[in-house]
Amino acid sequence: MADTWRLIFNPDGDAADMLAYASALVEGRIAGKYMLSTEKLPNTIVIQGARQKGILAGADVDINKETARRYDIRVANYPRSGRGGPKPVGTVNLSDVLKTSSRKFNAVDTDPDAPAVLLYTSGTTGRPKGVTLTHRNFAQQCDNVSKVLPLDQSDTIVLVLPLFHVYGLSNGLISGIFFGTRMTLVPQYSPAMLLEAIEQTKATVLIAVPTMYMHLLQIARTRKTSIPKSLRLCVSGGAPLALNTLREFEQAFQTRIAEGYGLTETTSSVCLNKSGEAFKPGSIGPAAEGVQMRVVDDNGSEVADGQEGEIVIKSAVVTPGYWNNPEATEETIKDGWLHTGDLGYRDEDGFFFITDRKKDLIIRGGFNISPREIEELLFTHPKVQDAAVIAVQDKRDREAVKAFVVLQEGQEATEREILDYCSQNLADYKVPKFVEFRDSLPKSATGKILRKELREGYRDDRLLDKVSGDNKEQHNG
Amino acid sequence: MDNPRGLGRMLEEVAKKQKKRQAMLFGNREVSYRELDENANKVANGLQSLGIRSGDRVALMLPNIPDFVYAFFGIQKLGAVAVPFNTMYKGREIIHILNDCEARAIITMTNFANLINEIQEDVPSLEHIILTGQRTMVFVSPDSTVNVQMVVDKDTFASGDDAFRVVGALLIDTLKTFGVEAWYKHRGGIRCGGKKIATVLVSEVENLLVINCLAFLGPLKTEDFFRVVWVSPEIKDKVMEPMTSVEEQTGTRPSVAQFKDALLPLLQSTLGISAEEGQLKRDELFGYEKTRALADKE
Repeated sequence: MADTWRLIFNPDGDAADMLAYASALVEGRIAGKYMLSTEKLPNTIVIQGARQKGILAGADVDINKETARRYDIRVANYPRSGRGGPKPVGTVNLSDVLKTSSRKFNAVDTDPDAPAVLLYTSGTTGRPKGVTLTHRNFAQQCDNVSKVLPLDQSDTIVLVLPLFHVYGLSNGLISGIFFGTRMTLVPQYSPAMLLEAIEQTKATVLIAVPTMYMHLLQIARTRKTSIPKSLRLCVSGGAPLALNTLREFEQAFQTRIAEGYGLTETTSSVCLNKSGEAFKPGSIGPAAEGVQMRVVDDNGSEVADGQEGEIVIKSAVVTPGYWNNPEATEETIKDGWLHTGDLGYRDEDGFFFITDRKKDLIIRGGFNISPREIEELLFTHPKVQDAAVIAVQDKRDREAVKAFVVLQEGQEATEREILDYCSQNLADYKVPKFVEFRDSLPKSATGKILRKELREGYRDDRLLDKVSGDNKEQHNG
Repeated sequence: MDNPRGLGRMLEEVAKKQKKRQAMLFGNREVSYRELDENANKVANGLQSLGIRSGDRVALMLPNIPDFVYAFFGIQKLGAVAVPFNTMYKGREIIHILNDCEARAIITMTNFANLINEIQEDVPSLEHIILTGQRTMVFVSPDSTVNVQMVVDKDTFASGDDAFRVVGALLIDTLKTFGVEAWYKHRGGIRCGGKKIATVLVSEVENLLVINCLAFLGPLKTEDFFRVVWVSPEIKDKVMEPMTSVEEQTGTRPSVAQFKDALLPLLQSTLGISAEEGQLKRDELFGYEKTRALADKE
């Protein structure tokens, strides 16, 4: 080891200095190595602070420069480097792989029932489970889409939903390729970036979640003139879309929104409620061709139309099971029927309606309480922006209703106010025992509320423990 | 559908029919179906040369960028199994997934190198970390951060791992002088309890190691940053790893100068290295100014 290093002490540096010192030192040393410079440069340590807030941003990060100036935040951009800059030790650069590999490869013949993709989903409890999806699952999904909502080569489809999620992957990317469409990739969702992507690429198809439609609509309200009108078709899924949002969006963007329903376990959508055709507000639509859907009681027997039960599905889009987890598979797929865990009913026209998640039901004094019913009431309170309802244990170890409430910006409300509103509109046993105000609610990539994270004793799995054994097979409390 | 084609074959056939048509638009970039198909082939060939075979699991931790699509279909063409997962996952979440599916490789963003480095020891099956793209976000603040960089000959350390270990130990000892008990098991992340208090990233270029560390002296207030980088409110707390700082651990925030004064004697006593204060030389200044100019480019 060399004995003396050079120290560069820069207590009042900034974000750009973090880039500049390292690259200056590297360039100087490499120049020396190739004798482009006569100066012998020593090993160097730089210790620096920042005189102002700063962000060191990769070339692909979306930065609001104006806000940065307003808050005196120094933004320094990484140069977009195609050339060989420093690479973390022990890693391979994908760009090197692309540069050095042959562009010819014949796709191997795959068994249609071999796994193509594993998608990990979080259940209500425990660690994420890997849903196995086969080539056949995806082929069947594409076939179903071609009957319900065919796309073609002239379509431009916006891929804004994360491709690691079944909805974006299956109904976005894989359908997009299947139909030979043009795909617009949006790497980081912001309402403004999505709108810009639609505008610039004259997109014809948008696949998104309710919050995105709400955000787009908010922008559209303020800029009435330049709303893009190129969308011929929109699909909403992941969570229910409010009817007035749907109508207003259709009006503003002169388009149609179809609401879909599906699960990771069904390779995404299994039914579609198509606005403008046989549309029923609040429904998820009839089962798609190639999909059998039923409503069953606890014994697995089909119930009469209009009666609530669990929705079960049989189709070639249904997963063969969870990776490495036969117990979970047996619990979920019985006699070829996938038990969705969603409660709902079918009407006399074959349209399905979802009422709740089976596992979210709160049972108090023998009564079933639907969290969704209470949440929907809370949504109608003028000061409430978002709400979630879960079961907690009360002092006597019974299930009690707890509501988490996010207030509209600038609004204030007391627990009493919220409870009074509930009492006026709900049966006594449904009125929450506890109300907690929050700034935001934990949500999944598709906007579903993560009730698991609201429950007490939720273990934050982003933390790492010192003891390695703990990292293996411990489950959430 | 008795015998449907696989996903790799699907792309191949669609691409053959419409080679020149646009497949993807990404910023100002346009990618034709031919280009998409060829890039997927390159990934398939590349993975094969790394020893990935049909049926092997390859994890993807990528946002919606063209590389996701190349990687996904490259994996399909090889008959391997793609395991895309949420780019916001951290720590144990990632360990669980990679171990459960016994992933042999992961393709991810350069800025996630630290996250994956840190857990690699806990995932015995993971042989290859393949990096792409540049979506790094590092926040610095006068109230919070100190940055330590080293640019040294490769032979200064026995290996990249050794550099991780030695520099990690150096930071832990430095933090200890302020009364912070931190630990460092994995490459890259120095933690107090489960939370991060400092990061170490060791990179290589030619015959050099470039070591970049960031330590938190005071709490990093992220609100202002999230005004500048749009992140939807529900996920804000998930974008950042849970962090802590010297001030949160001890009640006192050292200055950058105090941090330096604590670190240098340790560099001497543990590594036998003395440091003499100096400045950039003429040749280096040119590179310094050039990089600063590029960093300011909008």
